[in-house]
Amino acid sequence: MIYYLGIYLQDVVEALSFLRLVDSISFRAICGAITSLILTILFGGRAILYFYSRGHRDMPRDYFNSEAVSNQAKTYGGGLIVAAILISIGLWCKLHSLFVLFCVGAIVWFAALGWIDDFLKVRHRSSDRGLSEKAKLALQVTFGLAFGTAYITQALPAESAGLATQLYLPFFKNPVLDLSWGYVPFIAFTVTAISNSVNLADGIDGLAIVPTSFVVAVFGVFAYVSSHAEISEFLIFPFMPGVGEVAVICSIVFGACLGFLWFNSYPANVIMGDTGSMALGGLLGTVAVLVKQEFLFLIVGGIFVGETLSVVIQEKIGIRWLGRRFFTRSPIHHHYQQRGLADTKIVIRFWIVAGILALCGLATLKIR
Amino acid sequence: MKYLLTGGGTGGHVYPALAIANEIRQTRTDAEFLYVGHRDRLDAWVVPDQGYRIRFVRARSFPRTRSLVPLLRFAIVLAVGVSQGALILLRYRPQIIISTGGFVSAPVLFAHGVLAKVGLSRARVFIYEPNAYPGLLNQVTGRLAQRIGVAFEQAGRWFDAKKVAVVGYPVRRSFLNLDRHAAREKLGIDQGRKVVLAFGGSGGAKAINEAVLAALPLWREAGLMAIHVTGRYKGSDYDAVADTKAALAEMGIEGEGDWYRRLDYADEIVDLIAAADLVICRAGAGTLTEMAVSGTPTLIVPLPTSAEDHQALNAREMERIGAAQVLYQEAFWDNASIYSGLDGEKLAQQVLALCVDEERLQAMSAAAKTMPKANSLELITAELDGLIAGQPPPALRLELPSAKSGLPTAPNALLRWVQARVKEVGGVEAMERGELAYLRYQADRLLVSEGWCEIPLGRRNVGIKLVAVLNYQERLPLLLHILTDRTTTGWMRRFCGGDFRHGGIIRRNVVEHGLRGLGATDAQTRAALLNALETDPYFEVRAWSAQALGEMFTVDDEIDSALCAALDDSAPEVVVQALSALGKISHNPDLLARLRRFYLHPNWQFREQVVLVLIEFLQRGVLEPAQLEHDLDQVLISMPYFEPEFTLGANLRELAERVRAGLPLAASQR
Repeated sequence: MIYYLGIYLQDVVEALSFLRLVDSISFRAICGAITSLILTILFGGRAILYFYSRGHRDMPRDYFNSEAVSNQAKTYGGGLIVAAILISIGLWCKLHSLFVLFCVGAIVWFAALGWIDDFLKVRHRSSDRGLSEKAKLALQVTFGLAFGTAYITQALPAESAGLATQLYLPFFKNPVLDLSWGYVPFIAFTVTAISNSVNLADGIDGLAIVPTSFVVAVFGVFAYVSSHAEISEFLIFPFMPGVGEVAVICSIVFGACLGFLWFNSYPANVIMGDTGSMALGGLLGTVAVLVKQEFLFLIVGGIFVGETLSVVIQEKIGIRWLGRRFFTRSPIHHHYQQRGLADTKIVIRFWIVAGILALCGLATLKIR
Repeated sequence: MKYLLTGGGTGGHVYPALAIANEIRQTRTDAEFLYVGHRDRLDAWVVPDQGYRIRFVRARSFPRTRSLVPLLRFAIVLAVGVSQGALILLRYRPQIIISTGGFVSAPVLFAHGVLAKVGLSRARVFIYEPNAYPGLLNQVTGRLAQRIGVAFEQAGRWFDAKKVAVVGYPVRRSFLNLDRHAAREKLGIDQGRKVVLAFGGSGGAKAINEAVLAALPLWREAGLMAIHVTGRYKGSDYDAVADTKAALAEMGIEGEGDWYRRLDYADEIVDLIAAADLVICRAGAGTLTEMAVSGTPTLIVPLPTSAEDHQALNAREMERIGAAQVLYQEAFWDNASIYSGLDGEKLAQQVLALCVDEERLQAMSAAAKTMPKANSLELITAELDGLIAGQPPPALRLELPSAKSGLPTAPNALLRWVQARVKEVGGVEAMERGELAYLRYQADRLLVSEGWCEIPLGRRNVGIKLVAVLNYQERLPLLLHILTDRTTTGWMRRFCGGDFRHGGIIRRNVVEHGLRGLGATDAQTRAALLNALETDPYFEVRAWSAQALGEMFTVDDEIDSALCAALDDSAPEVVVQALSALGKISHNPDLLARLRRFYLHPNWQFREQVVLVLIEFLQRGVLEPAQLEHDLDQVLISMPYFEPEFTLGANLRELAERVRAGLPLAASQR
């Protein structure tokens, strides 16, 4: 809204011509981040109390029979992040841009999916009785396919339309492969895998939110680079006009993440629940596709990849096939918990690793 | 009128077909028959014996597996069979096709289905399903039929209800009036002897054959006469005739004698049944109906691999009305694999106990005759006449005994069900013997099952847990075999981190659930646990072994040193459990030196466990308080969690207790 207001006013009122600032992506990105940060912090406390009184509380799995753990009733607060992000996008983004619509669609779809899951869990008072795994997957893949189809046919302007189905790898200047329609299932897979991996990582206070903010920050930088005619030429990136809006969104999400961390830090009053983790995961997947850096996630989102791998190794390979456990528990953070590391220690170590991985990801800007 | 008969593979399918054909031959003079069967099964010799022409097709039963090779082989064989069937149909041009199920019937019916589509086959199809649970192929071919006759009402729900008629099981007429005296005269059997007839069904049952051989010496001593029909089963691992002969030669027994008679196959089984005082048999619907009609006392050995375990249900029903005794197959260990077999000793004893009890045999015979009989053949011929005339008679309903189990089929659901049941009756000891035997047989079935990896955690695994729940002490040796077995698994699995054929989780459950549940404290268990603690490559097995040793055994030097050695284990879980076990049972004051090494260990769980061990030692007087005086400030005190004095929570709990105490029960349980 502010974007449209600014454009309108600088045209109409001479004295307000400085408002053409709103056309600058960096300006809107910073404003968006601040807006979402302030929104979450401002309304977070009240929202938490409201949700708590309405019974939206986490039902932790009782692994350790520890009084201290089960005593901390936490609120499902994913709605808080989602609301802050959506409002900030409404204020600062070009809403008619297809890129923005894709991102908003992803957030809304995955948040709804996660919310149903949360709702069922709250209702059955058990963390094992949410949506079935199959139903979740089906809904995620549905979005992925729809998004993929829309993306390769609509997203890019005619002159760079050929770019849409090209596959880029980190460390390579040129696209390695043109997947054509094969890009659609690839997109569906990417979005599904990323959204689930964030969901898996969301297990200890603050564990998922900080790596998420690192990832959006890095993707924001890549989006900015790709949307900038000169920088993209200098760094030899595919120039995709309009992707700058993704940078704004990334920045908004970054702000919302920090605002959420305000309450989510150990010991948390609020956890994001499936609503938050799904929405953030779905958005990350969509952004990765939009900036054409799907494989960059393997580096930047290494924490999420590792968590997912630990689950696959433990459940599918270990228990299902070999009849043994490789870790005491999966996802891997529960393994460390079980082996006697403190929650806070695990979380902060994961942050450190995530930070290093984010820097490695940024390095691929130049090393290619 | 040209009839084409098909179906077979086992007697349960062939005999109804023959009974139907015989009946038609008597009533219709213009009837012409052709039988389509399988070259290697009993169809090949039984059908020509009865005076019917037979042609053969390739066929194979549907593999109940997800692996590719058997499925492919099945598809190829089916394709060949269908083309053979098509040729037969084109040459013979039958007007009526009568199928009695079994995998042999599938190729002909599929061929008919294809030919009928292009107008080359105008035959009408009547399918007869003798079992309560139709085979997979019969469920598919049911769509091609104009009319379906079923023996059991339950079977009807697999087919289109409009086509189904309940017709019962066609018993050969000769079963209606048996004369023991005449039959024995005919067979040349001593009238005074007790005669036991054992036959494992047309396929020949390996378990029954082997158990009978093991029981023979005992029966001979007791003066019994045994008639043993081995069947002509020939498989890759077992050849009923040859293997039985070889075993007999080894035992020094001739095939013929006044106390033992061996037959490959009984063409005139009616006479044998008439001559017998007791019959050992499988629990197929056909066999049991024949036994019931003829009032023969039976010792039933249900086939554990029957579809949906319907044989056990049939057998239980016969046992319930008092017409039979049931002897279940059990799980045996053989060279790293678990197979289902029958205990010869038990078989011998049960047969002897029954044979000396003439009153009991009479009562069983009388009870058998109370089973409802059906004029099944007439119903079937009426159906066929209706088909020929183009207007099938309205569906006829018969009262037939139906056995319902109520047991869940999913392994874990079964486990929960059994746990609840044991609790309900107040422990295993209080359970009725028949039911306990049946449930233990379910445990055996799960143990025998190869597919241990189904969701979640598999069948064999649940079998192990069931053994403990049912306090099935006889399976203790089997559990120890699983624990100590070192047969390696396939290279793919080993490459990915697997170790032995019985995977880590299954070995862990042997210790965690099996051995602890059974409360086994014998020397073999002890040796197995010590061995597992020392050499098992999987950390959970070692950890649970340490715990089990601490819980179930009194200490001696060997256990003590094994647990001490486990303190150097690479897996923290094992060390913690070993410490805990040592604290419970050790009397070794010299351990203190080893324990001191853990005072500054980075893993807080070790440190905490050491403190607990020291407390135990003080309580049990292993250590003197003075010895620990200087140790007190040596332990590193840090933990990931500190449990804050959560006063708000504690107070709230107190409030809740008071509120609930003051409220009526119903409201507080909201």
